[in-house]
Amino acid sequence: MSARPATDRALGVWGVLVLVFLFVPIAVIVVYSFNTGRLLASWEGVGLDAYTAALSNQEIIATVSTSVRAAAGAAAVAVVLGTLCGYALARRPGGRSGRLVTALLGLVLVTPEIVSGVALLPWFVSLGVDQGLTIFNSGWVRLVVSHSLFATAVVTFLVRARMQGMDASLEEAAADLYTPPLRRFRLITLPLLLPSVLAGALMAFTLSLDNTIISAFVQVSGATPWPVYVFSAVRAGLRPELAAMSAVMLLLTLAALAAVALVLRRGGGSKDAVDALSGVR
Amino acid sequence: MNLNDNTPRLLAPAARVAGLPRRTFLAGLAAAVGAPLLAACGGSSGGSGGSGSAATLRAYSWSAYDDPKMLAEFTAKHGPKVLVDSYSSNEEMIAKLAAAKGTSGYDLVIPTGVFVPQMAANGLLQELDHAKLPNLANLDKAFRGQEWDAGNKYTVTKYWGTTGFVYDTKVITRELATWEDFFDAAANEASGKTSLVDDPGEICAMLCFARGWHQSTTDKAQLDEIETFLVDKLAPHIAAYDSAPGSSAIPQGTHALMHCWNGDARRGILASSEQSRWKWVLPGPKTNLWMDNWAIVKGSANSDAAHQLINYVLDPAVAIKQVDFVGYGTGITGSEEEAGKLKLGLLDMIFPPAAQLATMYTGVINEGQERRMAIVNKMKAKAGS
Amino acid sequence: MTSPRRALRRAGPAGLLAVPTLAWLALFFVAPVGLVFWYSLGRKPGLYQTHANDVLSLDRYGEALSDTFTASFAGTLRIGLAGTALCLAIGLPFAYWLAVKVRPQRRFLVLALVLVPFWTNFLIRTIGWQVVLSPEGFASRTLQGLGLIDEPFSMLFTRGAVLLGVVYNYLPMMILPLYVALDRVDGSLREASKDLGANRWRTMLQVTLPLARPGIVAGLLLVFIPLMGDYVTAAVLGGARGNMVGQLVASQFQQAQNWALGSAMAVVLILVISATILATAVAGAVCTRLLTRRRRVELAGLAEGSPA
Repeated sequence: MSARPATDRALGVWGVLVLVFLFVPIAVIVVYSFNTGRLLASWEGVGLDAYTAALSNQEIIATVSTSVRAAAGAAAVAVVLGTLCGYALARRPGGRSGRLVTALLGLVLVTPEIVSGVALLPWFVSLGVDQGLTIFNSGWVRLVVSHSLFATAVVTFLVRARMQGMDASLEEAAADLYTPPLRRFRLITLPLLLPSVLAGALMAFTLSLDNTIISAFVQVSGATPWPVYVFSAVRAGLRPELAAMSAVMLLLTLAALAAVALVLRRGGGSKDAVDALSGVR
Repeated sequence: MNLNDNTPRLLAPAARVAGLPRRTFLAGLAAAVGAPLLAACGGSSGGSGGSGSAATLRAYSWSAYDDPKMLAEFTAKHGPKVLVDSYSSNEEMIAKLAAAKGTSGYDLVIPTGVFVPQMAANGLLQELDHAKLPNLANLDKAFRGQEWDAGNKYTVTKYWGTTGFVYDTKVITRELATWEDFFDAAANEASGKTSLVDDPGEICAMLCFARGWHQSTTDKAQLDEIETFLVDKLAPHIAAYDSAPGSSAIPQGTHALMHCWNGDARRGILASSEQSRWKWVLPGPKTNLWMDNWAIVKGSANSDAAHQLINYVLDPAVAIKQVDFVGYGTGITGSEEEAGKLKLGLLDMIFPPAAQLATMYTGVINEGQERRMAIVNKMKAKAGS
Repeated sequence: MTSPRRALRRAGPAGLLAVPTLAWLALFFVAPVGLVFWYSLGRKPGLYQTHANDVLSLDRYGEALSDTFTASFAGTLRIGLAGTALCLAIGLPFAYWLAVKVRPQRRFLVLALVLVPFWTNFLIRTIGWQVVLSPEGFASRTLQGLGLIDEPFSMLFTRGAVLLGVVYNYLPMMILPLYVALDRVDGSLREASKDLGANRWRTMLQVTLPLARPGIVAGLLLVFIPLMGDYVTAAVLGGARGNMVGQLVASQFQQAQNWALGSAMAVVLILVISATILATAVAGAVCTRLLTRRRRVELAGLAEGSPA
């Protein structure tokens, strides 16, 4: 009987250790963002210099703004395409187009980013220059398209999982009551899908903000996203302003998360939130 | 509850009803789809509206290659903002321009002289309009009309410099003076703490300087020996490929032996808290002499502003500030005396004495270039395995 | 109860809804990746031309499979397998703890804590480790302060640092699917197992883990595949030692301008990843078959011996 609490306690200790491990670099970045020195890793003193410098540095603000706008665009595309596709896959799984799309989405999920990056750059140049579709020379369009691929796959599978968990009886009941398909979708299906759609939008936004490798390949000067800027700063010398801006972005992400969690809680309780975020049901 | 009105009623489990409120649904849907679209549209239209007022010059340059104060002064005086992206090797810059086929968005690039003829031949550079560059007369005759660009058709000298190395006297207590000493230290005291610049030409040139071969040799036997030496003997001791150790590696003391360029080394030593700890060596018997140049990218939309910037930095008063910040000579007439008068720090690192100048010479880009890139790729692959 | 088929027919032309996504993927995924396969059959005609497909050949694959690059692939595979195994070793007990031992009210909080680092920029997290592991970082200072080492210790630019960074960055991707899978395992099945006399270890090994297998597989795939193609973490923490195949492919496109060779290396990378997954799946299936066969024999013996 005494063996049980021992392993349980050991598991608990392991859990706490893993959480600490996960937070070590975050804590370091936040602490070093208060470094008044010129280089990030050389500690000189405590101060808010880095924050004032970061928030007044036009280049940093421009890259963050580019990243946020690209993430918003990618999330929008992913949500629209992913919801439609997830609905189609859940309600009509046997169709040939359904099987093809599932296979393709699976392929998107398992393709390494380096392959996508080296594939998309020549393709965009070919579309933009050789074919004359100048819209593909825009940095924003390139980033949105590249980021939307993986995000669409994620949203599709989240929505499909939730729809498969939901039984069709509610929709059937609405159909029995002569509700046209579009209204049925809008009034019955979408509200029930909302947690998954929101979770998908959030995942798409985060993945796009984080995307380094594909962005490094397809980006156009003037629309440099934040991770690419940080990556080139790694070679040129890291400064505390980068840590300061990251701390600010982390705060904003947490605030957005809290807002989403609140909406989900009002809609269906915290279990729904957990399930939605993890794609269960 | 009035059962007689004609409102359709839905019999549903309580848990499902919780998920149906229209307010929440509309709010959530708007948040998920509408707001990001609005943000995206608003952002992009705002961006395009703003650029109409003043041109923004985009330069693709080496890292920390211009005094930021100088660029700010240029903007204040003439209007165009200058944004700089950086690369760490000419090959990277050329690959980007060639792949983009004119859509790269850059107006100015800073190629090293030896790469210019082929860049021009392949349509990557725009011809300069000398009418817009009156300050070109300030450039010393020795720096005008180089063999890779007679008549300064495509380029104007920005900096000239040389290659050497810096070592930590606390780790390496003996005196190092030649390239052989560098290889020896890399294999012994500084093994695993050595860095090389990320430039295939420079890396392959090291053995050539030591053995007395031409640094741009195309001789197959020599190239094979270079490959064997670099891949088998030197690669295992290299910790990093860093083209700008002066930015952080020298001030932080990340490595003990660093292959680098003179101005970058000077910047790093000046920024370090223990200047006497680092020693700069211009290695014998021979070493590299290179020249980086301003060039305008073909297809640039801001050609006038680009010419304005080049003309601005050819002014002696502006040039001397660049010399102080970057640590390379600019080729402007009289800049060496000016620098001496202003007593700039570590002056002999910017302007080596005549005896040392005699040991430097420039390389060329020839058929050996591809082989050199393949050798360095092999070197990097070997280090990671 | 209406039959499913009638309900589907009344659901409308749902199949058509998948078409926009199909078109998007065809235009921006199938076409470009197909182009990569096409380029890999070409060659580099000159110093400044990136590729030409006038002469088709498999020569680029020969180059890509040359000695040094195979060594690099082997090194990347070593890090990929070690990293994935470490993620599993660290993540499985954690996910088990979260799904089974933590109170349901607290689970959201712990899950959020796991995800917060995930929502920080990937590169910034890696740079955080660079600061910790650098010679002046507090890892070195703490060890010096404790008297365990005499001179500044630098774990940076070693393969160990790369492994640490890679495990750190991909751990949440392992924990999430594992948690979801373990969460789905019905608690009553575990109770039933204990009622039938199995101790906690047997329950975990023979009931919980096999039921959570889809999640384990998902976690392994979600970690192994991106890890094999990732070179950013290795570049920041490993320097020259951190040379992964992704870096080689990138440099073919970003420096050497040899798109044909770069494409061939990208295709070889995909093949190596697929081959590893296939090999592991086969090995896993064989192991499972052997283990369950043993158990099946036991039960059959019991059934025959029991009264009819």
